[in-house]
Amino acid sequence: MAMVDTGAVRLHVQRIGPRDRPATATVVLVHGLLTDSLASYYFTVAPAFAAAGLDVVMYDLRGHGRSERPADGYTLDHNIDDLEALLDRLEVTGPVHLVGNSYGGTVAFGYAVRHPERAAGVTLIESEPATAAWAVKLGGILHRVVHQLAYNEPDAIAWITAHRSHNTARLARGAARLARETSLGRDIPASRVLTEDQIRSVRCPVLGVYGGDSDLAELAPWLESLLPDCRTVVIPGHEHSVLVEAAQAVGGHILELVRGAELAGAAEAR
Amino acid sequence: MTPHTPVTADEETVLADLAGMLARLLEDEYGLDDVEIGMHTTFNRDLELESIDLVTLAGLLEERYGDRVNFAEFLAGMEFDEIIELTVGRLVEYVVTSLKAAEAS
Repeated sequence: MAMVDTGAVRLHVQRIGPRDRPATATVVLVHGLLTDSLASYYFTVAPAFAAAGLDVVMYDLRGHGRSERPADGYTLDHNIDDLEALLDRLEVTGPVHLVGNSYGGTVAFGYAVRHPERAAGVTLIESEPATAAWAVKLGGILHRVVHQLAYNEPDAIAWITAHRSHNTARLARGAARLARETSLGRDIPASRVLTEDQIRSVRCPVLGVYGGDSDLAELAPWLESLLPDCRTVVIPGHEHSVLVEAAQAVGGHILELVRGAELAGAAEAR
Repeated sequence: MTPHTPVTADEETVLADLAGMLARLLEDEYGLDDVEIGMHTTFNRDLELESIDLVTLAGLLEERYGDRVNFAEFLAGMEFDEIIELTVGRLVEYVVTSLKAAEAS
């Protein structure tokens, strides 16, 4: 297992690539909050990306998966700092394709705002840039997690086991631990958010992928109207877990974005 | 080679290998040291492994078998429900099949 020390935190990283030739581009995959980890990519789209010739970098956000779990430092800016330091440590210097699922997309977009020259493309899966409305919404979700789950765990877990599944209950226990033992629940809603001008400043191609049955699908037209180069795809019959449930479709759209950017780059070079 | 190869010495060896890897993982991550592992053991309900544990297992498989076995590709080809129901036996069969394919090529 590869651990990378960014100087601030030790992060668990997995990197795979094509077996028989040099990679044509790097994709960096960022997972979501609380119950998520790099496994959501490792067993879904990552093998296909590597087979398609890409250098695939996956990592666990601080506090998640196998990464270190410091007691504090969980604002969006901390996560962007971690990503920045991680890519520096890995000596990934050229522009990369950033892909983020849910909160991971908010991190990826924040990185692209901070380093437009290092972003070849951004994919937001069931995700959005950090706005004031986003911070309020996340605050509400995290408040429920902290109060109903983290401090009333036996009852909450019994309910989840009865109404959802054994598996969901186990994931919820992990989420409760993270919420209880760290400042994440307070830090994320207190994150610095982006202005509309900062959002518009992302000029690289942006792809938005949403589940047709997810509330977030409403964001698609707003995102397209705001960003200079944005396409959105709504995948019917799915909710927030569209990445793992419709991995092939989601992966296909991302590869199309990467290929498109490569062709545009080649055309420019001529 | 048929997909339903009967239990062979190979399968026993691979099961012993996998049981060793899983025992190491359960000990390292959860401090468990007496979990029984057989062909019918499920990763999810019996061993309570999370998906990130399967990433660790993928690393252990790679350490042992190199690129002859690709666990990530194996799981990427499955539906979510299949992964939840995955047994040690199914992985043993996959490893045996992959090793035989590598030998033959």
